[in-house]
Amino acid sequence: MSRLSPRFSGVLITLSVLAVVGLLMRGCPSPDSSASPATTAPRRGGQLVASIRGVPRSFNRLLAVDQPTDMFAMLTQGWLVRLNRATFELEPWLAERWDSSPDGHTHTLHLRKGVTWSDGMPFTSADVLFTLQAIYDPRAESVVGSNLLPGGKPIQAAAPDASTVVLTYAAPSGIGIGLLDMFPILPAHKLESALKDGTFAKSWATGTPPDQIVGTGPFVLREFKPGERLVFDRNPRYWRRAPDGQQLPYLDRLVLQLIPEQNAELLALQGGTTDLTQSELRPDDYVPLRRAEEQGKVTFIELGVGPDADAFWFCMDPQAKKGDRRLGFVQKREFRQALSHAVDREEFAQTVFLGEAVPIWGPITPGNKPWFSPNLPRYPYDLTRARDLLKSIGLEDRNGNGVVETADGVEARFTVVTQRGIGYYERGVTVLREQAAKIGIALEPAPLEYPTMIQRLLSCQYDAIYMRPFSTQLDPAGNLDFWLSSGSTHLWNMGQKTPATEWESRIDTIMREQAATLDLNRRHELFNDAQRIFSENLPVLYFVAPRLYYAHSRRTTGVVPSVMRPPVLWNADSLGAAGP
Amino acid sequence: MARFLIRRLAFAIVLLICTSSAALFLTRLAPGDVTSQLGPAPPRAEIEAVRARFDLDRTPIVQWGRWVSRAVRLDFGDSFLYNRPVAPLVIQAAGNTALLAVSALVVSTILGITLGIFTGVRRTGWLSALVRGASVMFISVPPLLMSLVLVFIAAQTRWLPTGGKLSAGTVDPSWSVYTADVVWHLMLPTLALALPIAAAFERLQSQSMSEVVRQPFLIAAIARGVPRRDLVWRHAWPVSIRPICGVYGLVIGSLLSGSFIVEFVTAWPGIGRLMYEALRARDIYLVSACAAAGAGFLACGTLLGDLLLAAADPRVREDLDE
Repeated sequence: MSRLSPRFSGVLITLSVLAVVGLLMRGCPSPDSSASPATTAPRRGGQLVASIRGVPRSFNRLLAVDQPTDMFAMLTQGWLVRLNRATFELEPWLAERWDSSPDGHTHTLHLRKGVTWSDGMPFTSADVLFTLQAIYDPRAESVVGSNLLPGGKPIQAAAPDASTVVLTYAAPSGIGIGLLDMFPILPAHKLESALKDGTFAKSWATGTPPDQIVGTGPFVLREFKPGERLVFDRNPRYWRRAPDGQQLPYLDRLVLQLIPEQNAELLALQGGTTDLTQSELRPDDYVPLRRAEEQGKVTFIELGVGPDADAFWFCMDPQAKKGDRRLGFVQKREFRQALSHAVDREEFAQTVFLGEAVPIWGPITPGNKPWFSPNLPRYPYDLTRARDLLKSIGLEDRNGNGVVETADGVEARFTVVTQRGIGYYERGVTVLREQAAKIGIALEPAPLEYPTMIQRLLSCQYDAIYMRPFSTQLDPAGNLDFWLSSGSTHLWNMGQKTPATEWESRIDTIMREQAATLDLNRRHELFNDAQRIFSENLPVLYFVAPRLYYAHSRRTTGVVPSVMRPPVLWNADSLGAAGP
Repeated sequence: MARFLIRRLAFAIVLLICTSSAALFLTRLAPGDVTSQLGPAPPRAEIEAVRARFDLDRTPIVQWGRWVSRAVRLDFGDSFLYNRPVAPLVIQAAGNTALLAVSALVVSTILGITLGIFTGVRRTGWLSALVRGASVMFISVPPLLMSLVLVFIAAQTRWLPTGGKLSAGTVDPSWSVYTADVVWHLMLPTLALALPIAAAFERLQSQSMSEVVRQPFLIAAIARGVPRRDLVWRHAWPVSIRPICGVYGLVIGSLLSGSFIVEFVTAWPGIGRLMYEALRARDIYLVSACAAAGAGFLACGTLLGDLLLAAADPRVREDLDE
C-alpha cells in the first residue's frame, strides 16, 4: 500500500506549489506611494468606504438618537445651522443668515434660496414649521423635543414668507440659535400626512424603500442591507459649493460597511478594505497603527485632547443607600478630595493611556476649548495630605489590616463597576485600586456587560463606577441634565426633587442663570464659578483626558479632523478619494 | 423511514419551541434590558415607552404568553436594534450562515477526507508527519484565534478581503459579478471555520483508514490483484468513512456554534453575528428568533448526519426502516 503514497505526495506538493505561486502572483502590494495625502485638495468622483459598528435604528433622526442614526442624518439631511466641529463655530447652513432680538426672545432666520430636496421639490419655510410641529407633537414620539425647551416651553415658529422663519423662545437661551444644530429639517411634502394621521412615530423606519427617503444633505440612500451595509450616492441637487465654485460633495458614492468588532475594523482599514473608521482609535491601537503608517498603509492623525474623560464617582443617593453606613463618609468632600490627592495622574496617563493623556481636575477638558478653565482647584499627588484628610473625618487604619475605618469599624471598602472588555476602563480601575490602596481605601473592580452596568447606574445599585460619560454638547447649557440636581445625568444622585446639598443648590442657581444669559463673557464667568464649586466638592473625580488619534486610508482626501464624533464624516461633503 | 422522518420533525418543532422560549426567558432574566441602548440616562418617558413596546413592563410569563400567541400567527416580534420585524432579518442572516456552513463543510470534507486517506494509507514519511502536525495544530486553535490570525494575514498581505460579504464597489451587480464577489469574500470565513473541522476529519479518517487497510478483506483484495486506486477508493474508503458519517450531524451543529465568532470577526452577516449583536443589546425577540434558527440548523444537521450514516451503513438503514 505504501507504494500508493508517492502519487498522493506529488498531487499535494503540486497543489501546494500552485497555491503559493497563485498567491504570490497576486502580489503583496507595496505601499501606494502615489496616493495623495489627506491635505491634498479633493477632486470629483470616486468612492470611500467607512466602517460602522452598528446600523441606524431609524432613518428619521427625530425618532432615534443613536450614533449611526445621527450619522445617517448627517449624510442625508440638512440643518438650519451647523456647529463646525473643527472650529466650534456656528455656521450658516440651510439658514444663510439670522437676526436676533436684543432680549434673545426672537430669532428671524433667512433661508437659503434655491435649495431643493433630493427629489426636486423646493425647500421652504413650511418644512421648518413642519419639523418643529413634529418635534413637539406628543403622538410623533420625538426624542429631540425634551432638549428643545428654552424657558421650559416649545419654540414658537411663524413663516411670514417662503424663505423666512421667525422663532420665538419663551425665555432667552444662552445657546441661542445653536439649539437649531440639534435637529435636521425634514420634508413636509413627504411626512406631513404621517404626522396628521398619527403614524409619524413609525415613519421612515429602516425598512422604508430608499427612494422614499428625501433630504437636503450631500448624499442620498441607495441601498440598505441590514447587518451588512448602507450605500449612499451623491445628491446631484445638493446646494453647497466648494470655495472654487465646484458643487459638493466630491464623492460619487459613500459606503458604510458594518463591522461590529473594533479589531476587525482596524484590520479592514489596514487591509485596504475600508478607508475610514467610525470613531477614534483606542490607546491600545496607537502603536500598530503608527507602524502601519510607517509602512505607508494608513494616515495616522492626532485629533487633539478629547472633550470627554473617564470619570469615577460614588453613588450618593440617600434613598438608594439607606442603611449603608459608608455613606456617612462618602458624602464628605474630604473623603473624595483624599482620593483625588492619592492618584498620581502622570502615572495614570502612562499606564492607562500609554502616555497619551493630560491631567485634568474637572469635567471640562482642554478639548472643549470654548469652555475649559485652567484655574480650577487642583489636587496634586500627595499621599500625606490624602491621609490627613481621611484622618480629619475620622478614617484611620485602626486594626492594621491596610484599610481605613471609622471609630465604629465601618471600612472604606468599595466595589467599582466598569464596562467589561474595554481595555482602558479595566486598566484605569486597576491603577485606581493600586493608588487608593496606598491611603487605605480598598477598591475591588467588577467589570460588567454594558446593559448590566447601565441598569446598576440607573437604579444606583453600585458603590462606585468608572466609565466615560459622553456629553451631548460642548456648551454647558446643553448639558443641564448633568449640572442640575434634578437632571437625569446628574450621575452621583440623579433626579433630585430638591437639591440634596447646599453646594448643589448653588450650582443649580448659577447654571440656570448661565443658561439664560446672552452675554458670552458673563456666561463664562458663571460657568467658571460652577466648575470651581464642582471641583471643590468633587462629586465626580476626573484624572486625565485622553489625547485622541484617528487613522484613515491614504487615498482619503479633504479630511478636517474633529475631537467630536464622528471625527471625519461630520464633513462628508468635502471628502474626496484619490485613486481607485 | 417515513415514521423516522415524522419523529424527527416533531423533535425539531419541540426543540425550536424550547430553545426560543429558553432564550427569551434567559434574556429577560439577565441583568439589564434593551433600554440600556438608549444611553446612560435617557428620559424616563422614553424608557417606559420602549419597555411597553417590548412587553418588558409585564411579568416574564405574561410576556412569553403574548409572544407565543403572536408567534403562532408567524409574528415573532420586532427588533429594537433594527426597528423592524425579526423574521426577515433572521431569514436573511440564516441564508448567509447556511452558505458559510455549507462551503465550510464542503471544504473541510474534501480536505479532511483526502488528507486522512493519505495519512491513513501512508503512516510514515515527512509529508504525513507534516499533515498530522498541522491537523493537531488546527484542532487546538480556537475559532476566535483562527479568525483573527487569518484576518491579520489578509490585512497584511491584502490577498483576501478581511470582511463583509460584498466589495464596496459592488452595487447593483449582475448575477455573475455578485456570485464571484460573494465567493471571494467567503474564502476567509470558510477557511477559518473549515480548517479545524478538516483537521478533525483528517484525524478520524486517518485512524479509520489505517485500521481498515489491515482488515483481511483488503489483504484478500490485494492478493486478487485489485488495482491500488480501486483498493483505496472502492474497497477501503467506503468502510472507513462510517466514523465520519457518525459525527457529521454534530459537526454541522459545531459549524454553527463556531460560526458565531467567525462571523463576528470577519463581519460575515450571518445568524451568529446577528445573535451576538442581539445578546449584547438584550434585543429580546431577536435573540429568541436567532436561537430558534440555530436550533433549526442543529435539527437539520443531525437529520442529515443520520441519513448519511444510513446511506453508508446498511445496519443503520435497517434501524431507521423499523
